[in-house]
Amino acid sequence: MAKVTMTVNGKQCSGEVEDRTLLANFIRDTLKLTGTHVGCDTTQCGACTVHVDGRAVKSCTMLAVQAEGCEVTTIEGMAKNGKLHPVQQAFTECHALQCGFCTPGMIMAVSAMLKDNPHPTDDEIIHGLEGNLCRCTGYLNIVKAVKQAAGGKAGH
Amino acid sequence: MYAFQYRKAKSLKEAGELLAKDDEAKPLSGGMTLIPTLKQRLAQPTQLVDIAGLAELAGIDNKGGVLTIGAATRHSEVEASKAVKDAIPALADLASNIGDPQVRNRGTIGGSVANNDPAADYPSAVLALNAKVITNKREIAADDYFQGMFTTALEPGELIVRIAFPLPKKAAYAKFPHPASGYAMAGVFIAETAGGVRVAVTGAGASGVFRWKEAEQALAKGISAAAIEKLTLSADDINEDIHGSREYRAQLVKVMAGRAAAAIAGK
Amino acid sequence: MDHHHMFEVGGAHLSRLEDLRLIKGEGCYAADWSLPNQAHAAFLRSDRAHAKIVSVNTDAARKARGVLGVYTGEDAVKAGYVKPLSMLTFPGKDGKKAIIPERPVLAHGKVRFVGDLVALVVAETALQAQDAAELIEVEYEDLTPVIGVDAALKAGAPQLHDNIPGNQCFEQEAGDAAAVEAAFKKAAHVTRLKLDCTRVVPNPMEPRACLIGYDAGSGVYTVHVPVQGINMMRMQLAAYTGLSDDKLKIMARDVGGGFGQRSIAYPEYAAAMIAAKALNRPVKWVSSRSESFLSDSHGRANYITAELALDKDGIFLGMKLDWIADLGAYLHPAGPVSPMRNPVVCLNGVYKTQALFGRWRVVLTNTSPVSAYRGAARPEIAYTIERLVDEAAAQMKIDPAEIRRRNFIPTDAFPYKTPTGSVYDIADFPAVLDKAMKMADAPGFAKRRAASEKAGKLRGLGFSTVIENSGAGMFPKDEVLLEVAADGNLTAYSVSHSQGQGHETTFAQIIGDALGIKTERIKLRQAINEKPLMGNHTGGSRTIVGAGTVCHLAAKKLIEVATPMAAEMLGVEPSQVAYANGEFQSKESSKKVTLGDIAAKKPLSATGEGKFGSTFPNGCHVAEVEIDPQTGVTDVASYVTVDDCGTVINHTIVEGQMHGAVAQGWGQIFGENVVYDPETGQLMTGSFMDYTMPKAGWIRDMKIYDHATFGTISPLGVKGMGESGCTASLAALTNAVMNALRPLGVQPLDMPLTAPKLWHAITAAKKGN
Repeated sequence: MAKVTMTVNGKQCSGEVEDRTLLANFIRDTLKLTGTHVGCDTTQCGACTVHVDGRAVKSCTMLAVQAEGCEVTTIEGMAKNGKLHPVQQAFTECHALQCGFCTPGMIMAVSAMLKDNPHPTDDEIIHGLEGNLCRCTGYLNIVKAVKQAAGGKAGH
Repeated sequence: MYAFQYRKAKSLKEAGELLAKDDEAKPLSGGMTLIPTLKQRLAQPTQLVDIAGLAELAGIDNKGGVLTIGAATRHSEVEASKAVKDAIPALADLASNIGDPQVRNRGTIGGSVANNDPAADYPSAVLALNAKVITNKREIAADDYFQGMFTTALEPGELIVRIAFPLPKKAAYAKFPHPASGYAMAGVFIAETAGGVRVAVTGAGASGVFRWKEAEQALAKGISAAAIEKLTLSADDINEDIHGSREYRAQLVKVMAGRAAAAIAGK
Repeated sequence: MDHHHMFEVGGAHLSRLEDLRLIKGEGCYAADWSLPNQAHAAFLRSDRAHAKIVSVNTDAARKARGVLGVYTGEDAVKAGYVKPLSMLTFPGKDGKKAIIPERPVLAHGKVRFVGDLVALVVAETALQAQDAAELIEVEYEDLTPVIGVDAALKAGAPQLHDNIPGNQCFEQEAGDAAAVEAAFKKAAHVTRLKLDCTRVVPNPMEPRACLIGYDAGSGVYTVHVPVQGINMMRMQLAAYTGLSDDKLKIMARDVGGGFGQRSIAYPEYAAAMIAAKALNRPVKWVSSRSESFLSDSHGRANYITAELALDKDGIFLGMKLDWIADLGAYLHPAGPVSPMRNPVVCLNGVYKTQALFGRWRVVLTNTSPVSAYRGAARPEIAYTIERLVDEAAAQMKIDPAEIRRRNFIPTDAFPYKTPTGSVYDIADFPAVLDKAMKMADAPGFAKRRAASEKAGKLRGLGFSTVIENSGAGMFPKDEVLLEVAADGNLTAYSVSHSQGQGHETTFAQIIGDALGIKTERIKLRQAINEKPLMGNHTGGSRTIVGAGTVCHLAAKKLIEVATPMAAEMLGVEPSQVAYANGEFQSKESSKKVTLGDIAAKKPLSATGEGKFGSTFPNGCHVAEVEIDPQTGVTDVASYVTVDDCGTVINHTIVEGQMHGAVAQGWGQIFGENVVYDPETGQLMTGSFMDYTMPKAGWIRDMKIYDHATFGTISPLGVKGMGESGCTASLAALTNAVMNALRPLGVQPLDMPLTAPKLWHAITAAKKGN
């Protein structure tokens, strides 16, 4: 067992976990932040994407102990003072979600993508979404939402 | 995942000692291969020795015609590094196409080269650029380093510290990713080095990354897609599985080689 | 009347009402439930496809750290949880009924596929349960696995179940064999195709999970699972466990995708019930994706031989089919019903073909059981017909649009009774085709093909004109309850459960439209046990037709119920009261009372109900592809849809459904394919590493149009549309690829049209030339 401490959504959080506990499980089971989803076990689907020290990572492929002392942001930390993050706003305005299960991971991946590249081309958006699977939307409206969040003209 | 003990190494020396003391301990860098393997219960290490944060393994440095990249450098760092882009743009390009953004934010060059997955991208660059793999014990030439699928010259307890890439005159990488996994079904790295043109192929070889000697000879007089067009890669030593026959993979190698050659010729 | 206009009340283009919680991470999916003192489950699954279980030793597992209980097939048999519900109750050939195999919720005596459940371990943590599951020692006596329908039907094939000789549990015929024989006799041309509709994994992004609570006092189980509707889950679980409905409380909030996979009461759920009762503790199980690949219901897996007889002008004289459905090792409750029923309902497609005959067989193999997957054999029959038609047109050198026009059911022939007894209520096939050809710029294709050829690429244009039956419903009626609160806000209760389709928005739009109330004031609640309602789950594209229409009827009924109450409050006769926009007004005075005012005095609610049979959404999809002969990679250059799904309630949602369904069609045609090793029965495509899911960029744009006719089944004119994208895209994409490759002499290819398959076909054809 190990004691881990990290800052999650601006708050310092600690917990006793087995060394083998994944960050995703720490977030979901220990911190009860169930907005981070687990959709696969081979590091493909990206539903578990969170930000660790500002970078998008798959929390199912990182041990909780590896995040010791890190700044972690989950989907629950994206809206600030009751105001949606622009990527969240764009996702709902562009109908970029259906069942919503992949959505938190998508939003975390996209917000990180736009931090690195605020005005991506279509190709760059598609390349940037390679780590996230969605079964409902066919991705077209997700790409549209990324463009809208980036300030481009999109939507209806 | 089986239970294990996690140890965060404080120094390279300590990491080496921990690993030397315990045959069943494994080094953990980005974890992008190791953690999925553990999750599938395909490995049962006693300890994971985390080396990702070690200062000795960090840093990108371009000096004296050699680009040196610390083993713990993440793919996304190589992708974004101005030093890499200036020195060997093909290497930054290769890094930008590994896995996906989240994987690139965790995975490291040292981890990839140490693991030597037959479908990983970096081994082709290390081999084509005639790089040196510098470990906590010695320096290993690329031609001696790769010894077949998931097999390298690394000894137990030996850790990659950095990789030194002599700057090529020109280089390019072309990859055909598997549509599901994103791993290379065929990846071809062509480099015009001080010692001549080197062509390294990943993803397709039945025993991991290999040099395509016929292509090297064909390109020796000048790098062009047309020179590749005339070649036939024997499918004998090419990998075959449900995702593609050896003939198909041999064809992909040729097409990717042609694309890499065209990219160089166009530069 | 412009039927589109009527649903703009709440603003069809605004965000969906369900979105806010989902984008904030506040949704509640199956794995998000927790109960105090819950224990965690892990399953030991069979690592082989076909074997006798000689012994199961659980001693070490029971002693392992944290373990609370270990359960095996013995426990399943003891509990009597051995026989899942079967909906395949109708008689087949010669009046013979289906033979239904038993399936103890934990395997007993035999394992029949890789992933079959052998034991359940419950421990204090999930990791402990997984560790202990590995300590169970199972001695097997291996049997030869039966993989694929040919192997299953071969004389002397190993038999999966003692009571199912030859591994065939059902056979049926439909149509008129004699008429077909006569048609083929006089045919000028016959086109024959073997069509494999490959096995796929539905893969909703949320893995399955369950949390079972048990109350020893009342004997009530609280079952938290992903559903498509709680009634279907409860009915199946009751049948599997022998419990009465009142002992089963089904809980679900958000469901992370369905596609048919969620409509099943899986054995894992019932096994967890055994443990929850034995331990008197809640038991939670969360599936890994690897387990999903092994044990979720698979889809399609229909293997069809089809023949089309034509006269010299390309008029279809008759069609015959030999259809073998691979249902896997056991029968899911509705699994075999889809391929036995849906193809028969639309056996003629959109054509006036008179002579039709088919033979269908249900076959068992040592693979994961198969059930409905988006379309549930509707895509397969449409694919079969549209592939036949396209190949026939090519063989007879008739333009593929022209051959379809010659054979369409004319627009003035509706309602049209088909040779297999269906009644297509209304459609306009020629107009749908014409619009699609125009929107896809079919006339400009030759120019685009020439440009592609110049760039070394092979270009093809293909399309399909299809029809499908929406689900007729398995429950006698659909009900929706509307309750008004004192603040005038409304709550609607429904059985049908969204798995992403956006019921909360579309239902609110329908109710809001009928009542003249903003959608934001109408909250939909699904899966509420305390408001027992009759109704169907969401499946078969039927929800908007059933529950959606009933939302409209419930709203109308609410006005009816409230009118006398309003009249009393206004002190006038009910006939003197008029309703508009949430208010009742006396015709004589300006006095008003609102729905909320009435509800503040007395409980105000109304239950709408209705029974609706199948509707017939239809459409034409046009795909244009460009193939790189160097690598065999196909790029979808354009995709145009023109659909008639009747009245459109919400265009944005309809477009979203179309995007997703066509992407699933693309997945099946270009990548997704379940491969079992034919010798060992091991699953070779058991993760997203080996199973090609559509990713962003599979297509850059899709142009979506409609050509609606007002459906006659629902007073709203709706027809349903959740599955039409799958139904139309399989053939459209394949026809486009074959159109590109046919000039090289490439013969018809089966899905999936992967890059290596196309490269080999192109290479072989070039060598042949």
